[in-house]
Amino acid sequence: MADAIKSKSAESELRQFIEELARQSMSCHDLPEVRADAICERFSKLHRLAIEADLGGVADLAESLHSTLAKTGPEHLTDCLRAAVTQVQQKMESSAQTHSAAATIDCASEEMTLSDPGLIADFVVESREHLVAAEELALALEKEPGDAEAINALFRVFHSIKGLAAFLEFDRVYRFAHEVETLLDYARNRELVVTPAVIDLILASADFLSRCMDAIQSGGLSTLAETEGAIVNRVQEVIARSAVPGDSAKVDQPVPSSGSAPTGNPFEIDAESLPESAQPGTEVNGRPEAGMSTAEAPLAAGSTAEVTVPPGGNTANAERYSIRVDTNKLDYLMDIVGELVIAQSLMRTEIMTHSNAHLNLVRSVSRLTQITTDVQRTTLRMRMIPIGQLLRRSTRIVRDLARKCGKQVEIELEGEDTEVDKTIAEELADPLMHIVRNAIDHGVESPEVRLGAGKGPVAKIRLSASHEGGQIVVQVSDDGKGLDRAKIVKKARERNLVPDGNLTEADIVDLIFSPGFSTAEEITTVSGRGVGMDVVRKHVEKLRGRVDVVSTSGKGTKFIIRLPLTRAIIDGLVVRVGESRYVIPLSSVREIFRPLESAVSTVQEKGELVMLHNRLLPIVRLHRQLSVVPDITDPWAAVLIFAESGGREFCLMVDELIGKQEVVVKSLGQFLESTPGVSGGTILGDGRVGLILDVQKLEVRA
Amino acid sequence: MQPEVALTPAPKPHPTRNQARAGKYLVFNLGREHFGIQVLKVREIMGLQDITEVPHTPVFVKGVFNLRGKVIPVIDLRRRFEMKEIDYSARTCIIVVSLSGTDQPIPMGLIVDGVAEVINIAESDIEGTPAFGCELDTSYLLGIAKVRGEVRLLLDIDRALNADQFEAFAKFSASASSQPV
Repeated sequence: MADAIKSKSAESELRQFIEELARQSMSCHDLPEVRADAICERFSKLHRLAIEADLGGVADLAESLHSTLAKTGPEHLTDCLRAAVTQVQQKMESSAQTHSAAATIDCASEEMTLSDPGLIADFVVESREHLVAAEELALALEKEPGDAEAINALFRVFHSIKGLAAFLEFDRVYRFAHEVETLLDYARNRELVVTPAVIDLILASADFLSRCMDAIQSGGLSTLAETEGAIVNRVQEVIARSAVPGDSAKVDQPVPSSGSAPTGNPFEIDAESLPESAQPGTEVNGRPEAGMSTAEAPLAAGSTAEVTVPPGGNTANAERYSIRVDTNKLDYLMDIVGELVIAQSLMRTEIMTHSNAHLNLVRSVSRLTQITTDVQRTTLRMRMIPIGQLLRRSTRIVRDLARKCGKQVEIELEGEDTEVDKTIAEELADPLMHIVRNAIDHGVESPEVRLGAGKGPVAKIRLSASHEGGQIVVQVSDDGKGLDRAKIVKKARERNLVPDGNLTEADIVDLIFSPGFSTAEEITTVSGRGVGMDVVRKHVEKLRGRVDVVSTSGKGTKFIIRLPLTRAIIDGLVVRVGESRYVIPLSSVREIFRPLESAVSTVQEKGELVMLHNRLLPIVRLHRQLSVVPDITDPWAAVLIFAESGGREFCLMVDELIGKQEVVVKSLGQFLESTPGVSGGTILGDGRVGLILDVQKLEVRA
Repeated sequence: MQPEVALTPAPKPHPTRNQARAGKYLVFNLGREHFGIQVLKVREIMGLQDITEVPHTPVFVKGVFNLRGKVIPVIDLRRRFEMKEIDYSARTCIIVVSLSGTDQPIPMGLIVDGVAEVINIAESDIEGTPAFGCELDTSYLLGIAKVRGEVRLLLDIDRALNADQFEAFAKFSASASSQPV
């Protein structure tokens, strides 16, 4: 037993040593100080460690490699070393498996690592982040195939996943990541030319790995139905093709790109486009990269100058220094800061009403007010993330779809730094995807048609984000053919979606958002089922936002999504009915007025109507809805709020307006959240809870 | 010496009841009746707060209040047990408990006449709840304990207040109101 424990510790030491060796072998390819004797020394140490760890196979291998390396000339040393390390790693894996099967005590301790759900969850989260980065990097690389930094970064991504997977003993993930890593290693050493086919392969690998992550999360890799065989074969094929022995496949003699790449592809590269030493800060193709970050630089340089990149590669730094915080902690912080603000304002009111308050005290309280406001603002900002990642995700969709539809599309991003609440960003992903798909499928024409219309063959899709009056505005515009109004109306008539007669521009635009509507002649994999735009509107309205369309025939279409910055805060109108105060979301308030007695009429003494701007609107008495006793029972003595929600218009009757206020939305908890007519609560200025009314549901109850 | 705690539960009065009933209880009263609630369920005890009424909720829901920035529902326990209502006094308290939720504990305030003490109750002091016939549902009692010759009704708070009652009410209220009155 003691032996087993000893060999276990030796094994972990051995693993560490191999990892280190692998790292060294990867990084030392052009360093002169790599000398044969140093390497031989390492391998004898490896041999010794393997014996201690009771891994005979590894020890034997180390010995034989030792002698091979000793004979190798200096010019092939790096390659041989790398190959040797790979062999050792593989041997290590296989013998470790048989080994642990034999020694039961080992199994027990390994299962401790295996069954640690926290570690695995971390692994999944981290790998997902890596994979998102990988996708961005791959697309950046496609635009700038010689970007050494991007290749290195990609290599690191797969290397990290491989390392973590090996640690947690997800063998399939480990082996798969290893293959991709090898592929990237060739690319890194300029033994493989990055063609679109290679990019496809990298993207497919990233996709496969993220499916692996899904599988791990839902209970283990065994649930993953598909096999990695096909992709691995492709990877190995590419490696085999590029790995022409020696230095023949160097930069100056690029291997022709594989047959699957479309001809006339703008990504075709030639020898000149590969920089000799592409370090950040140097000039690539005469385009200055001026210290831009890895992820941003190729993207920015590849698209247009309009892409805003923060000076000095801020984004990369921001990412590097960010930490992950549990949202529960953030929520708690927000709650407690809200309380701080209330306590502070109560104290302030108390002191300000004392006319003989000490001047210094008043000054201190004012200072405190400033600080608390600042703390509150900062707390709210902590939930915000730059929208860039979300926008960049569309780059992938554009690329894949454009290829599928045989169209040439270039994507432009703007305002990637625009900050938005994380939950909003997540909810926005789906609508954005649908709009982009729609733009490619319906908006953008094929290259031939475009040339015929006097446009360039490559269409442009522009995604931009900005802040505008306390809202975030996301626009997706294309320079395609615009909405085909005649076709839309014809289709709508066929389906009896609209009555006969003239339709206004707004009506027509409205049609494309109706469920099941599509102008596509046939249902394709891209679109035609008519679910897309319907989903967009639903999603956006759920987030208390709105979506508009501006379209010029022949010039293009622009979708404009307006959303609140955060779901946590809304602009509310605080009203009083009897002794209770309620918050009405300002987004559904159109007008506030007190009618003349003559403007109010009744129907059968039950229903009440009020005339406003020559329109008759039903009056909803809030006190009846909420079963409270009001101060005022006559509509002409009360205040009416003209509200609109879910396409219906009506007037809410309240006793008094208290004011407009930004309120933090809080859930009433699991037991009360389904209460009809109430969408949540908020803490009002005096520390009491005010209910936020769900105007739409209230009206239904009327 | 610690009072002896029974390691194996006595024969269970209810077949579904499998939790150990012995342990520490917070004792509170509603009029002359004294109740015990497992201290592990109790988050805090506080005086009466400003409570905002919520429309269309079951009658025993008093409303919601602000607990350090969180909105917490409050139940009037007298109303829940269909007892006579009395005016709130200086002794009236809110006990904030954690109910077992589907994914995380649900905080909930209970208005009681007053709290007395925390006591340790041994399994041997606990008796099963006698049946009172169909007029009185006692399924929310864990059992009845005798402490110094007095009776403590041990409350199973998760049974006394659960989401089903609220959901059923919300559905009922929604369907009732959608019909013209």
